[in-house]
Amino acid sequence: MKKLLLSFGLIATCLVTAFSQGRLVTGVVTSADDNLGMPGVTVVEKGTQNATFTDLDGRFNLTVSNPVLTFSFIGYVSKDVTAGDEALAVTLEVDVESLDEAIVVGYGNQKRSKITGAVGTISTKEITSLPVLRTEQALQGRAAGVQVTQNSGQPGSTQSIRIRGTGSLNNAEPLFVVDGIPSGGIDYLNPSDIESISILKDAASAAIYGARGGNGVVLITTKSGSKNQKPQIVYESYMGIQEPWKQMALLNAEEYAILMNESRSAGGLTPLSALSNPSALGEGFDWQDEIFERAPMMNHSFSFTKGTETSSTAVGGSYFVQDGIIGGEKGRFERYTFRVNTRQDGGDKFRMGQNVNFTYLDRSALAENNEFATPVGRALNMDPTTAAMRPDGSYAYSEFIDSDIANPANQIALTNDQWVTNRFVGSTFGEYDLLSNLTFRSTMSVDLSLGSQNIFYPTFDLGIGANDPNRPAYEWRETNVLVRGENKWSTWQWENVLDYTKEFKNGDNIQVTAGYSALRNHYTNFYGSRDSLASNDPELAYLNNSLNAAEQAPSSNGGVSESSFLAQFMRVNYSLGAAWSLSGTIRRDGSSRFGANNRYGTFPSLSAAYNLTELPWVAEKDWIDFLKVRASWGQNGNADGIGNFDYTSLVFNGLNYTFGSDQVQVNGAGPVNTSNPDLKWETVEQTNIGVDADLYNGKLNVVMDYFVKSTNDMLAVVPLPGVVGFSSSATNVASARNSGFELSVNHRNEVGLWNYSIGGNIAFIKNEVTDLGTGGQPIATGNVFGAGDFVSYTEIGMPMAYFYGYETDGIFQTDEEAEAYGALPDAQAGDVIFVDTNGDGAVDGQDKVMIGNPHPDFTYGLNMEVKYKGFDLSLFLQGSKGNDLYNGVFRYDLNTTNMPVTALERWTGEGSTNLYPRISHPDPNQKSNQNTRGSDRFIEDGSYLRIKNVQLGYTLPKTVVDKLKISNFRLYVAASNLFTFTDYSGLDPEIGSRGTLEIGIDRGFYPAARTFMAGINVTF
Amino acid sequence: MNQKTIFSACILAVSLMACKQEFLEIKPLVGSSEANFFLNAADAEASIIACYNPLQQEVTPIQGFGQLAPHFRWYFGDIVSDDSHKGGSGDGDEPELLLFENFQGNSGSKLILGEWQAAYRGIAYCNLSLNRIPDIDMDATDKARFLGEAAFIRAFWYFNLVTMFGDVPLVTENLAPSEYQQARNPAAEVWAQIEADLTTAREGLPKRSSMSVSEIGRATWGAATSLLAKAHLYQAEWQQCYNVAGEVMASGEYYLDPNYSNIFSEIGENGPGSIWEIQYMNASGGNWGNQLEGTFTNVFTRARGQFGGYGFNIPEQNFVDEFESTDPRLTATVFQVGDIMGDRGEFTLDATGMPHEYYAKKYFINQSDEAPFGDPNPNGYTNDRVIRYADVILFHAEASYHLGIEDQAKASVRMVRDRARGGAEQQFPGVLPNNVVNAATGQALLDAIYHERRVELGLEGHRFFDVVRQGRAATLLQVDGFTPGVHGLFPIPEAEITLSDGLITQNNGY
Repeated sequence: MKKLLLSFGLIATCLVTAFSQGRLVTGVVTSADDNLGMPGVTVVEKGTQNATFTDLDGRFNLTVSNPVLTFSFIGYVSKDVTAGDEALAVTLEVDVESLDEAIVVGYGNQKRSKITGAVGTISTKEITSLPVLRTEQALQGRAAGVQVTQNSGQPGSTQSIRIRGTGSLNNAEPLFVVDGIPSGGIDYLNPSDIESISILKDAASAAIYGARGGNGVVLITTKSGSKNQKPQIVYESYMGIQEPWKQMALLNAEEYAILMNESRSAGGLTPLSALSNPSALGEGFDWQDEIFERAPMMNHSFSFTKGTETSSTAVGGSYFVQDGIIGGEKGRFERYTFRVNTRQDGGDKFRMGQNVNFTYLDRSALAENNEFATPVGRALNMDPTTAAMRPDGSYAYSEFIDSDIANPANQIALTNDQWVTNRFVGSTFGEYDLLSNLTFRSTMSVDLSLGSQNIFYPTFDLGIGANDPNRPAYEWRETNVLVRGENKWSTWQWENVLDYTKEFKNGDNIQVTAGYSALRNHYTNFYGSRDSLASNDPELAYLNNSLNAAEQAPSSNGGVSESSFLAQFMRVNYSLGAAWSLSGTIRRDGSSRFGANNRYGTFPSLSAAYNLTELPWVAEKDWIDFLKVRASWGQNGNADGIGNFDYTSLVFNGLNYTFGSDQVQVNGAGPVNTSNPDLKWETVEQTNIGVDADLYNGKLNVVMDYFVKSTNDMLAVVPLPGVVGFSSSATNVASARNSGFELSVNHRNEVGLWNYSIGGNIAFIKNEVTDLGTGGQPIATGNVFGAGDFVSYTEIGMPMAYFYGYETDGIFQTDEEAEAYGALPDAQAGDVIFVDTNGDGAVDGQDKVMIGNPHPDFTYGLNMEVKYKGFDLSLFLQGSKGNDLYNGVFRYDLNTTNMPVTALERWTGEGSTNLYPRISHPDPNQKSNQNTRGSDRFIEDGSYLRIKNVQLGYTLPKTVVDKLKISNFRLYVAASNLFTFTDYSGLDPEIGSRGTLEIGIDRGFYPAARTFMAGINVTF
Repeated sequence: MNQKTIFSACILAVSLMACKQEFLEIKPLVGSSEANFFLNAADAEASIIACYNPLQQEVTPIQGFGQLAPHFRWYFGDIVSDDSHKGGSGDGDEPELLLFENFQGNSGSKLILGEWQAAYRGIAYCNLSLNRIPDIDMDATDKARFLGEAAFIRAFWYFNLVTMFGDVPLVTENLAPSEYQQARNPAAEVWAQIEADLTTAREGLPKRSSMSVSEIGRATWGAATSLLAKAHLYQAEWQQCYNVAGEVMASGEYYLDPNYSNIFSEIGENGPGSIWEIQYMNASGGNWGNQLEGTFTNVFTRARGQFGGYGFNIPEQNFVDEFESTDPRLTATVFQVGDIMGDRGEFTLDATGMPHEYYAKKYFINQSDEAPFGDPNPNGYTNDRVIRYADVILFHAEASYHLGIEDQAKASVRMVRDRARGGAEQQFPGVLPNNVVNAATGQALLDAIYHERRVELGLEGHRFFDVVRQGRAATLLQVDGFTPGVHGLFPIPEAEITLSDGLITQNNGY
């Protein structure tokens, strides 16, 4: 009744004031903090753009027609006040909301002010502001110490994510947990369905994920409705056009011919007649132009949310399509998503909820990032004298290059490689309050993924002639071949969690979370292959269309694999007094992947935070709102690099022996590699100290962390003592250490009607291998064809997969100089001077040294946002500094491939250059200095700064949207990868890893596209 | 109500715990792995064949070092002894072997690493079968036989290890990573294991006479008993050697082929006097590798040049001189200039391109018998005659001598001598008459036994180990640099010391 009266009174007031058009309201705004007047507070007549600011003393006056005024100031809680007849005295409270903001942590939420570990968060706003094409991209540059690098620019490609450095020789990717479900791959998510992302960086916060948390954990929470929420429909859409933004500077046809003639002559061969008149060849053909194109992309997404007193519902759907900038629809990625997320109360004590996602992915892909059969690699290596097509419209082949480098345009046309995935991810939970402060929650979740692969190799012949026995395999195919595969991955997980909280009389607070988790993965596949299909049309490529029934039986295979995890875990959070937050977790994890001797691992952690703001000498500092120091220690495991049955060894059925007077070979069987009953997780131990600070009334927010992360028991294949008998398989022997410093700073402010924020984060991480097992045998990886060698090396005391090769010292200017050098007996004038680093008088494998480091000194992200009235402008930059790349693009081993323009600056005589060697085919006497061997000549600085996104938006004024009967309408234009600042000569400096131990090798990298797009967001 | 719910929650929690053991026990369902192998008799037999397989491994890819290491029995038994020189294309061909020949070999050599790794690889398969077959439900006789075969092969490997390296790690189980670093066990323990394994083998293995033709080449009671006699011989346990070798001789399982030159011909394979041969065939491609069916001894020991070999294991003059003139075993053992090398032509220095006047003959094969694959590294079919009946008879002779039973010793030597002469000394004028042997006593008799071993078993990989065991190496090999107390054993491979974290120690003097 009281309420009703009050409302009536309010309405009456409104009615009364409504008559007094254009009346003047005056008043003063003070801060609840210090009761002083607040300058610069925005005062807006609610629902209009009629606004003013308080003066230096906090006073304001504004002529309004509507008596409700909104007072807002950054770092303070906004307030609506209805003006009466008297001058207003408004007090604004400091916004402690952000400190009370609930951060998603493993198996629960925690107030930001109470967090004791290192947790990075990315809000829905940051995710959707880009817009990002893949969820992983939302992590890039947003959180300090989280390095996200594209493994390819092709639509649908994965990203390599390293949280606090590369912490494993094997699987170094973090664990993704989507709404509580561990997910292998998150490409099924529509980024705009995501509510928040939390990144558990230190061991203490990830310890509750035990054996799987070692590489850090990315917790993704999808959007759900909230109770008592009015129905809301959001529609978002954008269209974009993607384009390549860079071409490598290569030789044109004339230059190519000149250099080839020179190269053949130097190698003792006669120049080719087809190249005898270089100037007649002119510019020739531009293969990069040929394969790159502009490609469209498009996104539509809608969501519906609604809540009642006892339930909430969120429904969403989306469609996304992106063509490749190479091959267009041959590299198309399509994604349809549909989801329902609901919650219901069943009385006071019982709640339940369901989360159902369905995703359909259709991805066509071209080969990428290898040096033997990719359109990029071929386009960069193909000779410019050959055009893609002959005048008659048929695809041409090169007279000068064969084997791996064939016509890329023809390759694109012939590629039919498609993955179709139907994925269902769902969970349901029931939650019951056993006591007022004790809740039991049981969650059952399922992740089912059906993946169909369809690869069709049509017949073709570029016309070299069927009778030519030497025709290269890449220029023809006599019989078409179809491969079809069906894969099924299924995972179920059952978790039971008890939550207990108690507040003690003295104000201390304890919160206990304890639970069990059981998880089982199952995988089956079936593959079939047939050749000689009746038609070359990929649309008709079905196994039953094979004409070859008799001569060759259809081949098929199928398999099955399973694994399981079982865990018990507990976390205790204790608030001691006002200042101390203490936390301890322990998880015991068992897995079928571990050997019988190590079925279970136990992962403990301890952490504490102290709120310095509680100290008088801190509290009295006006400019410090909140200051907290944190320290944590913990252990996690990395079990995701272990295969399901790595603990046992495969039995090889070819250990034969000869018996009988007729000497008959008899089949024997036995393992070749060791079994490993000790096989277990890799142990990651991490210590973290950090500071969180909110300063200057929330205008400045600073988070700093220093960490030391040691990975022990890393799995590596190392030479075994002979007594073991079998060949080596992976054992838990190696160790590495990552240590680093992370800083993130955010500033936001309002100046007049201008509202801006600027923030940045930076992380310095040092990576070092500390142990590789008994004997410490280094691991060579990164085979580069152009160098004919492995260029990555993993060795004790060095960063993982550092670049390893020969050091160079210029060019021999004369034969005498080469002869006098001695250590390179085959060298002559114009050859590279490789340094005899060990001084033993011969340049050989022993002289290889570190020639580069693929790990950056630091990575950083920077974002800026400015809002003025309805306009918003944002800018997001991201970069990496100090990392080296190995430019392995060119197939020097084939002698006749195209080359970068720097080849024109080759050595041609004494004093001509000290940088680029002479160009020569291999000497007929096999004498060769191997100028192209893996050396520092191919190491380039991979540092870059990229304008990842720039966006300009406009939100329609309230008055307009009201007329349109909608609640919000924003339109924007944006550009992704607008500019990239780098010294790297290749197509893209942002090059991820191939496996864990091949980092930053460019084999003809599929570059990221520059994208221009325009979009709308409408809320009904 | 609340308590009830808490109770049921606990039940739920406990039930989840209860299933945990089997929940985490997941075995592969497709393909074969150690986890789902050893289920039945067929698996057991396949695993036993796999135990035989490493016996063929003479050229071992060295794990983690990317090299191939040949380690033929004749490398260490003959070349290191006074019977033969290394040969090859020159000093730079297998230089490590030259170092060993001159007693300058070192622990970094891949040859001994190959020997070490091959032996333990063989042992690992035997350990696996010996540990897993007992649990298989199968025919008891077959089971005993399989276990006997594995035990015999394991004993064979340990015999090689203990005679080459002395104290070695005694591994009888498959090792888990936590057990990879093993220390050396005293040689006495290794010998005890060899004897125990051979006792097991003797109990489970069939006699050769009871085996079908298709089983020829599998281990027999005779092979195990003969190896046991040899083990006793090497430990100078004369009485046991006498007894056990005597069992073989009394068994009637073997007799000496009247024609000595038959032994190393194709028809001599698994012949009447053959007790234990490592089987080879030329039916598979001759690629370098460890899963080989053929032997490289043929190509390694054949003369170079037109004869298509590598010319290793060149008989020394000293060895040739050991033969009594016209002892027919010389022409069966050594090629001399002017001899016809089968279908490969006449042996002239020009044709070989090398200065050597002798080549080993026992492992020579004709071009027409080579594997028909045209591989640059062709392998051959010739079985490796590891234990021959004549060898066992001479064990018995030596044991008899040391036991003071000189008549028995002489009788044994005469069996071997007579066979070499077709049973009649007179057929070969100029040969010392048997009465020299008959008259010999004391040291002269022992010398006669030693002489007989050398000429009967020449270039079959025994000599170095014989003269070391007999205590004669210091004298006979002094000229090559043999140091007593050092060179009776080979160095432990340095890589193994490193990989054992220093638990394995080096032999004296290396």
